[in-house]
Amino acid sequence: MRLSVLTPAVFLLLLAVSCGKKEQATSLNIEKLPKAGPEQVEKLIEQFVDAKEGSVIEIPEGYYELPTQLILDNVNGVKVKGAGMFNTVLSFKTMTTGGEGMKIAGNNILLEGFTVADAPGDNIKTQHCEGITFRQVNTTWTHGKKSENGTYGIYPVQCRNVLVEHCEVSHSRDAGIYVGQSENIIVRNNYVHQNVAGIEIENSDNAEVYDNHAENNTGGILIFNLPGLPKPFGSGTRVFNNLIKANNHENFAIFQDGNPVSMIPPGSGVVILAGDQVEVFHNKIIDNRTLGVAIASYQITDLPVPTHPGWSPYTTRIYIHDNTYERAMALPDLSKDWGKLIAAKCLRAPDILYDGILDPAKGKDAATNPMQVFVDEKTEDLRFFRMVIPDDGNVMGIRMEKDAKSFAGSYPVSTDVSMIPSNK
Amino acid sequence: MKNGWLILLSGILWSCSHSGTPSDIDFSKLPYKTLSEYGLFTGDLKNFSQAEGVTPYEPVSSLFTDYAFKKRYVWMPGNTHATLPDDPDAPLDFPDKTILVKHFYYPLDFRKPEGEKRVIETRLLVKNQGTWEAYPYLWNDEQTEATLKNTGASIPVSYTDKQGAKAAFNYVVPQKTQCRSCHNKNGVMLPIGPKAKQLAGQLEKWQQTGILETGKDLSAIHPLVNPFDVSRPLPERARAYLDVNCGHCHSQSGPASTSGLYYNAEEDRPFHLGVWKSPVAAGMGGGGLKFDILPGQSKASIVTYRMNSTHPGVMMPEMGRVTIHQEGVELIARWIDSL
Repeated sequence: MRLSVLTPAVFLLLLAVSCGKKEQATSLNIEKLPKAGPEQVEKLIEQFVDAKEGSVIEIPEGYYELPTQLILDNVNGVKVKGAGMFNTVLSFKTMTTGGEGMKIAGNNILLEGFTVADAPGDNIKTQHCEGITFRQVNTTWTHGKKSENGTYGIYPVQCRNVLVEHCEVSHSRDAGIYVGQSENIIVRNNYVHQNVAGIEIENSDNAEVYDNHAENNTGGILIFNLPGLPKPFGSGTRVFNNLIKANNHENFAIFQDGNPVSMIPPGSGVVILAGDQVEVFHNKIIDNRTLGVAIASYQITDLPVPTHPGWSPYTTRIYIHDNTYERAMALPDLSKDWGKLIAAKCLRAPDILYDGILDPAKGKDAATNPMQVFVDEKTEDLRFFRMVIPDDGNVMGIRMEKDAKSFAGSYPVSTDVSMIPSNK
Repeated sequence: MKNGWLILLSGILWSCSHSGTPSDIDFSKLPYKTLSEYGLFTGDLKNFSQAEGVTPYEPVSSLFTDYAFKKRYVWMPGNTHATLPDDPDAPLDFPDKTILVKHFYYPLDFRKPEGEKRVIETRLLVKNQGTWEAYPYLWNDEQTEATLKNTGASIPVSYTDKQGAKAAFNYVVPQKTQCRSCHNKNGVMLPIGPKAKQLAGQLEKWQQTGILETGKDLSAIHPLVNPFDVSRPLPERARAYLDVNCGHCHSQSGPASTSGLYYNAEEDRPFHLGVWKSPVAAGMGGGGLKFDILPGQSKASIVTYRMNSTHPGVMMPEMGRVTIHQEGVELIARWIDSL
């Protein structure tokens, strides 16, 4: 499904696209902070090394340049508290080994009130935690060289009972807030900007993503299932009450990287890839110049589709309803294949794009909705496009159907995150 | 009076510098402040003369740590012994109060490996009440003692390499908490080197001296090969290299299980070895390449790209080195090119 052929008309569109860049405001101001001396830095490392069950690590205001990782190594009930989201800044820009800045393993962990900046890999990775809270944590890359930015900002993986709230995450080269291979998840009231993906939920079960502000990322909110992982698949995500605005940032994940995130066209609001039981509702999906919501199967990535027990490439049981759409006065992206396809075939940004790829075991006629994709939007002139891919897979032969009516109905997704001790 | 003072002084000195034998170790008081207190070595610490009951061993495939030379030892309490686990990727089951010792040092001239050397650090893995703990000891400049250092360090190192060229860099001693980044199976700290597949030819001797007891047939073990023994088949050499350098993390029970990329020698599914597999979270480590391994094309494979980097956001392994293992990159590149 490679889109190597661009019509002259599309080239003209390309020339017409404005390249206006917008930078988000952040309250981070490193210059004004007192710089921690070598003893303070050493003491902080020691506090992490010596942490015992129930330890509270308080980090006073200041700018700390860490030569090494901060690791909580399998200790439970630890609280790491800074002097405020922008007042305690932990920078890993001079570290020579170890990928992540902060690395946490242990149960019932609280991370609150600090910034982690400039780790070579991920800023904060938490793995095998049962009960992990990020609150008022800021992560970013400050050096302005996007090619040097790390992968994830906030990265809980293989965790249970995850809460990420009131955080700010920017400039990640992959996903800002990335929850992977986890169960029972709340991501709320966060501000994510200038990442490739603002928020991504991947191979995870039972997630609620709400009241977030995702602006000027390449893609606002992503729900993915990728193949070949220890947790092979995830089900059950509700995305609601989010402001998903002008996610038109250039995609600075490495081009042609096999990672599907690098294929996301700038201007993407919500992207569901190989998702199962995903409900997207009551969001404001505004000024995303390429698409509002994409419902796609893994085949669309043009990567080999492997067979893995428990994993499916097909997106199914999707319910999109009651969102508000406002469209950008701009043309769809032309830097990525998806964007080119949309530009060439839709001519304008769809509110909802469905790739119409069917699991042959479930049905052969997309118009009968065998994959249970339901759309119930109140927007009168809803731009719904369904791709019809010819049998020979020829991209130029792709047609777009605008048959939203075939997908009327509902599929309420149930999530239950009451086990997360969110009110502590 | 004068004599009494001297006796007192020598008494103090004796109690400070006394190294008993490992049997005298009070495991409830660990870690000791200094390496010599364990009594694992006799005479000058720098000579690495192991005390009685301390057994040197050597894995057939060794982890690359910035070209550091290593010496490894195991001590178990008298009348105890290790046993063989069923999982071929698991370390031996050691008895409680086992101590594994590893010195890291650089000969000043690699062409004279037994000549003058600079010892950097000694790491102990101690099994106490069923759990392993890591205790890192940093050597002093005088090379007379190593002292517990939990927070890591950066030590300038220089030597003359095998080709006679000067090498110099800052060796990074990991923090205590970084040990589990590699020494980790399902979140539990475990040794990496002393696995049956690594100790081919040595286990028989362990059995004879009584520190290994097993009803298992030692000849049924699939041993790794020395990755740099050119008389062995290339695939076995490559897989042995990947096993020890990557497989401790990249296995189904290791911390990098998140990637779905597995390099323990037992793995035989091409996808999970990276063949035609796209990364999940490589970030800048992907290098603009699509696949972990693209058969026949090492230059287009992420595995060799990451091995061939020292950028902390790119390189693999992500710790334990600040230099590139040229011979290792070459080996894996040749293997990928042969696929």
